[in-house]
Amino acid sequence: MNTVIQTEKLTKSYGSHRGIIEVDLEIREGEAFGFLGPNGAGKTTMIRTLLDHIRPTSGRATIFGIDTTVDPVAIHRRLGYLPGEFTLYDKLTGGQTLDYFANLRGGVDRQYQADLVTRLDVDPSRKFREYSKGNKQKIGLIVALHHRPDLLLLDEPTSGLDPLVQQEFYSVIREAKAEGRTVFLSSHILSEVERTCDRVAIIRDGRLARVDRVEGLRDLAHHQVELVFSGPVPASAFEALPGVSEVVTQDHTLRMRVSGSIAPLVQAAARYDLADFISREPSLEETFLAEYGRAAAEVAGS
Amino acid sequence: MSAVGHASPSTTPAWTRIYGLGSIFAKTVRDSRRATIVSAALLALVFLGVSRAIVTEFDTPESRVELENIVNAVPPILQGLAGKIVNVGTLGGYLQYKYGVFFPLVLSLWSILALSGTLAGETQRGSLEFVAATGRSRRRVALEKLSGHVLMLGLAVLVAFVSIAIAGRSYAVLPGDEISVLSAFAYSVWLGLLALAAGSLAFALGPFVGRGASAGIAGFVTFAGFILNGYQAPVPDLAPFANLTWWGWTSNHVALAGQYDWPSVTLVAVVTVVLLAVGIEAFARRDIGVTTAIPAPSMPRLLLGLDGPIGRSISTSFGSAIAWGLGIGFFGLALGGSASGFMDQLANSPQFIELLESVFPGIDYASAGGFLQLLFVEFGVILAGLAAATFVAGWASDETSGRLEMVLAAPLSRRRWAVAGGTGMLVNVGVFVALTATGIGLGVATTGSDVGTPVLGSLVLGAYAAALIGVGLAVGGLIGTRFAAPVVVVFVTVTWFVQLLGPLLGLPEPVRQLALTSHYGQTMVGVWDAAGIVASAVLAIGGIAVGAWGFTRRDLLR
Repeated sequence: MNTVIQTEKLTKSYGSHRGIIEVDLEIREGEAFGFLGPNGAGKTTMIRTLLDHIRPTSGRATIFGIDTTVDPVAIHRRLGYLPGEFTLYDKLTGGQTLDYFANLRGGVDRQYQADLVTRLDVDPSRKFREYSKGNKQKIGLIVALHHRPDLLLLDEPTSGLDPLVQQEFYSVIREAKAEGRTVFLSSHILSEVERTCDRVAIIRDGRLARVDRVEGLRDLAHHQVELVFSGPVPASAFEALPGVSEVVTQDHTLRMRVSGSIAPLVQAAARYDLADFISREPSLEETFLAEYGRAAAEVAGS
Repeated sequence: MSAVGHASPSTTPAWTRIYGLGSIFAKTVRDSRRATIVSAALLALVFLGVSRAIVTEFDTPESRVELENIVNAVPPILQGLAGKIVNVGTLGGYLQYKYGVFFPLVLSLWSILALSGTLAGETQRGSLEFVAATGRSRRRVALEKLSGHVLMLGLAVLVAFVSIAIAGRSYAVLPGDEISVLSAFAYSVWLGLLALAAGSLAFALGPFVGRGASAGIAGFVTFAGFILNGYQAPVPDLAPFANLTWWGWTSNHVALAGQYDWPSVTLVAVVTVVLLAVGIEAFARRDIGVTTAIPAPSMPRLLLGLDGPIGRSISTSFGSAIAWGLGIGFFGLALGGSASGFMDQLANSPQFIELLESVFPGIDYASAGGFLQLLFVEFGVILAGLAAATFVAGWASDETSGRLEMVLAAPLSRRRWAVAGGTGMLVNVGVFVALTATGIGLGVATTGSDVGTPVLGSLVLGAYAAALIGVGLAVGGLIGTRFAAPVVVVFVTVTWFVQLLGPLLGLPEPVRQLALTSHYGQTMVGVWDAAGIVASAVLAIGGIAVGAWGFTRRDLLR
C-alpha cells in the first residue's frame, strides 16, 4: 500500500512557543488515522504544517510523495481540509460558498455535494453569518468533502455538530475509507477516534507519545473503581486480578484502576459484603496525564 | 463551618480597576491607550509646533497685515473647508482659521470608531455574551465602556488644552497673540464635544443597526456636516442642511480667535448626553446582537465573484467602491456645480488672481478645473487614500478572519491569491474613480466650463489609491495582512500632514518631497507631473509583486 503522508523529524516552533517536535509519521493509502491529544498539544500545528500553511522549522513532510514546501498546490488538488476554527464569507449564502469553493477546485461532483447537503441537513439558502456554529461546521465539512479528495485532513471535525449529524459524519468517513481514500483526523475525543480510525497517534507537548493501532487504545481506556464493604477486606484478594492495579485501601474502602474487562473484579467483590460500587471512566485528559507521565499529584488534584 | 458560601475577598488591585483588566472600564481605558497617545501627540505637535512656526514666519506687524490681506483676498468659496476669518492677524485667529476645524474631524473619527465598536463590535464578535454574563447590569456594562472612552478622549483634549495654553503664553510675539486660558479651554471643550457628539450618534445607533451601519451613518453625518458647513456661506442654499449638525450650530464659536458662542456648545453637550443615554438604554432593553438590517439591494449573482479569486476579490470591496465613488462623486458634483460662483467671485478679486499667477505662473485658475484643483484635490486624495485602506482591509480579512485557511487548501497558489487580490482592488479603484469622475463631470457640465480636463484630472485619485493598494499589499505580504490597512491609513495621514504642515514646520525640502501627493502636478487644469504617475505605477505594480513574493515566504497567520 502506498504511503500518503510521511514526516521525518518534522518540527515547527514559534519562537518561545512550542509547536511540534521531531514528529515521525507514516500514513498509508486508505487508512483512517486519528491524531489525538489534549488542547494545545500540537494537533493543529501538525495539520497546518502538512498543508504548507506554516513552514517547518526543521525536518520534512511529504504527501503523495511530494515535499509539502515544494509543490503544495499539487498536494492541495488531491486533498480536502477542514480547519479547527474558521469563518467564511458572511455575505454569501451557504450554497454560494459551496459554489465558490467548487469553482476554485473544479471537478466537484455536484450530485455528491447535493447529497452531502441533504445528509448533513443544512439549509444552503441562508447567509453564512446567519448560521449557527454547527451549521457553519457543516458547510466547512462539505467544502472538505464535496470533491471526493484522495486525502481528508480534518481538524476536530465534529466540533459543534449535534449527535445525529455526528453519526452521519461518521458514516460519510466510513464510506470515504471504503472507497480507498485516506483520512487524517485530529480530535481530543477518544470515542470518536475509536469509532472512525484504524490507527492513532497520541501527541503531547508537541511530541508523539505513541503511535498504535486503535485496538492499542483499549489499554488506555480504564475505570477508576471504588468498592465500599461492610467490613475489612484484604487488598491482596484484588491486586492479583487481571487488569487491576494501583489498589489503595482506606478503612473498608478499596480504590483501584481497572483496565479491560471489569467482570473478574465484580465476581471477586461479590464474595464479600459489598455496600457500594462506584465506577468512573476518567476523561481523556486524565487518561493522558496518567498514562504519559504528569505528576500523580497533579492528576489526583484535577 | 462549611466552606460552601464563603466568598473569597476580592484580590483585584485597585489600579487594575482603573487601567488594565480589573474592570470593563479599565479594559476600555487600556484598549484606548494607543489611540489616545497618537491623538494627544498629534494635537501637541500641531499646537506647539505650528504656533511656533507661525510666530517665526510672521514676526512683524507688517507681515501680519500681509497675512490678513492674503486671507481676506481669498474668495469666500475658496475658504470653504477652512475656519471662519476672525482676527487672522493674531496667533490664535490664524490657528483657528487654518487648522482649528480639522482636529474635531480627526477626533470624531476616533470617537465614531471607538463608540460604534465598543458594544456593537463586541456583540458582533460574540465576546459581549461573556461580558454580559459576568453579573453586571447591561447599563453598567455600557456605562463603564462609555466612561473609559470619555476619559481617554478627555485626556487627549486635555493635552490639546495644555499645548494651546503653553503656546499662547510662550510664543506670543505681537500684541493680540496671547491665547488666554479661557480661549484654550473654550476651544478644547468644543473640540472634545464635537468628537463625542459624532461618537454618541454611532453609540446610539449601534444597538439598532449594528457596528458597520452605525459607524457609516455617524461618519457620513460628520463629514457631510463638516463640508456643508464649510460651504454654507458662499452657497446659501446649503445652509438648511448645514445647520442640521453640530458643525453648523457652533459655527460662531471661534474660540482661539476670542469669539465664543456658549449656548451652541451647550446645545451640542445636551444632544450628546441624550444620544449617549439612548445608546445605553437601547443596549439595556434590546436583545443583544439583534439588529435591524438597513435595506440594501442584494448583489446580483454575477457580481458575487464565485468564479475565482479575482472575481471574489472584486466582489469583496465592490460595495465599498460604489459607496466611496458615490460619496466622493457627490462631493465632486457639489463642488463642480458651484464652480461658476467661484469664477464670478474670482473675476471680482484681481488681487487673488495675481497671487495665484505668482505662485502658479501660466495656469488658468479662473475655470471649473482651477476651482477643483484648489478645493477638491487635496481633500479628494485623502478620501481616495481612505478608500484604498478599506479595500486593503477587505482583502486582508481573508487571512485575518481565518477563511484563507480553507481558500489556500484549494489548488490555488499563494502568489495567485495575492495577485488576484491586488488586481481585484485595482478594479475597484477604477470603479470608484469612474463614479467620482462622473460626479465631477456632471457638476462641471452645469457651469458650461471645460468638462474633459477636470474629468481626466480626477484620475489622479486613482493613481494615488493604486499606489496605496501596492503599499498595503506589500506590507500584507511581507509582514502580515493585519498590518496592511493600518499602514495605509498611516501613509495617508503622514502624507497629508507633511504636505499640509511641512512648509510651516520648516521641514527640509527632501522630506517634503517624500509626500507622493506633491508630485502629481495640477491635474484638474491639465498639468500632469509624470514623476508622480510613474511613482504610483511602480508602487502599485511593484507592491503587488513584492507582496505576492513575501506572501509565499511566510507562515499563514491565524
